[in-house]
Amino acid sequence: MRTLLALTVFGGGVAHATLAPALRIAGVTPDLPLIVVVLLALRRGPEFGCVAGFVAGLLQDAAGGGLLGVQALTKALIGFAIGAAGSRLAVTQPLVQVPGLVLLTVAEALVRFALLKLFRFPAPLGELMAWVVLPQALYNGFLGAVFVLALSWIESVRARSA
Amino acid sequence: MRVRKFALLLVLVGVCLGLLTLQSRGYGSRASDLVAVVTTPLQAGYAKLTRGALGVWTTYLDWKNVRAENRRLRAEVQRLRVEALRVRETDDENRRLRQLLVLQERLPLATLPGEIIAREWGGWVRALTVNRGRADRIARMTAVISPHGLVGRIVDVRPGSAIVQVLTDPASTVGAHVVRTRTPGIVEGEPRGTIRFKYLARAGAGIRVGDVLVSSGQGGLFPRGIPIGRVRAIDDRGSALFNYAALDAAVDFGRVDEVLLVTGPTPQDLTAYFPSGG
Repeated sequence: MRTLLALTVFGGGVAHATLAPALRIAGVTPDLPLIVVVLLALRRGPEFGCVAGFVAGLLQDAAGGGLLGVQALTKALIGFAIGAAGSRLAVTQPLVQVPGLVLLTVAEALVRFALLKLFRFPAPLGELMAWVVLPQALYNGFLGAVFVLALSWIESVRARSA
Repeated sequence: MRVRKFALLLVLVGVCLGLLTLQSRGYGSRASDLVAVVTTPLQAGYAKLTRGALGVWTTYLDWKNVRAENRRLRAEVQRLRVEALRVRETDDENRRLRQLLVLQERLPLATLPGEIIAREWGGWVRALTVNRGRADRIARMTAVISPHGLVGRIVDVRPGSAIVQVLTDPASTVGAHVVRTRTPGIVEGEPRGTIRFKYLARAGAGIRVGDVLVSSGQGGLFPRGIPIGRVRAIDDRGSALFNYAALDAAVDFGRVDEVLLVTGPTPQDLTAYFPSGG
């Protein structure tokens, strides 16, 4: 199971560079590794979420050709935080999932922006938010909700067949 | 347990910050290369996989689009065919009416245009119904012509229509002569829907296949010189008093739609007014 999860995280990070462009809607691509990290962290707790976020983020950094460690750091933080808070969140409700993932995406973006600013990242935050972060956050929210619903449906089918 | 969690987080954050620091000092390429060694083959594999899956999906979408487009184009083709037929029909009608108008203006005759509204095409009777009748002061025996030649005569006049006995009617006879030889005779309708020229054997020695026949104007019923047909074959009956020539009618009676009704007498020979007048 742990191998499968590791493969999922690892695969999610690499898949982002290859699969996400195919999911593009009006120029907006979802952050698949973030969704995977959040879902895993909710089920597996903060340690797993942290490692998953680190690995997925590192792979994203590598795939993007940018600074190694930026997304590894932000996603590790997100994975840890969600894993720690997961038990207190009613995450099975789509009304929580969608805004939750939207907020997490925005939070991750803010941390990433802050880190990048240390390395003289030129883009202004306002434009970045309007054109990249918020559309992606909305997309992540809806895609995440779809993932959660699909997973719960698969689990219910498995439980029934067992 | 709690400490272990935070220790892990701190280690990972430390690794990240370390990486960032190294990169900011120009030592980042080795770390990047190391990660790339692992990720590049995976990315290539994924790309192949997704490309394949997307290829199938795209092919399916293309196929669906092609089907929809095919359906749409078929409907469009049908619509355009109908439209083309309508245009062709209108064009044809336009051409016919123009010919009729030209003929009407050119002929030194008082004529009235009419439209064929019905056809009686049984072997016993071959007649057309024209939309001119008593209200238009049409009289019996009025000659009916078309731009190609003689159609027939009015045999019955009704309030809003008239019956035209066409030349192929078995009861139809019209005085005619061969343009080239001036051989006189009678054009008769035949039960099989054709016409033939009956002439005195001794007067018709020179008639040849292809000769044009026009109305003779004898009797004053039909104007002189209206094309009737061309000789298709000669039926030489030896010593018989009359010989016959099978004719190709100048007018396609089955397709004539507009005609002119000759409402006044004409003293002239009209041969020159028709295109096939010899």
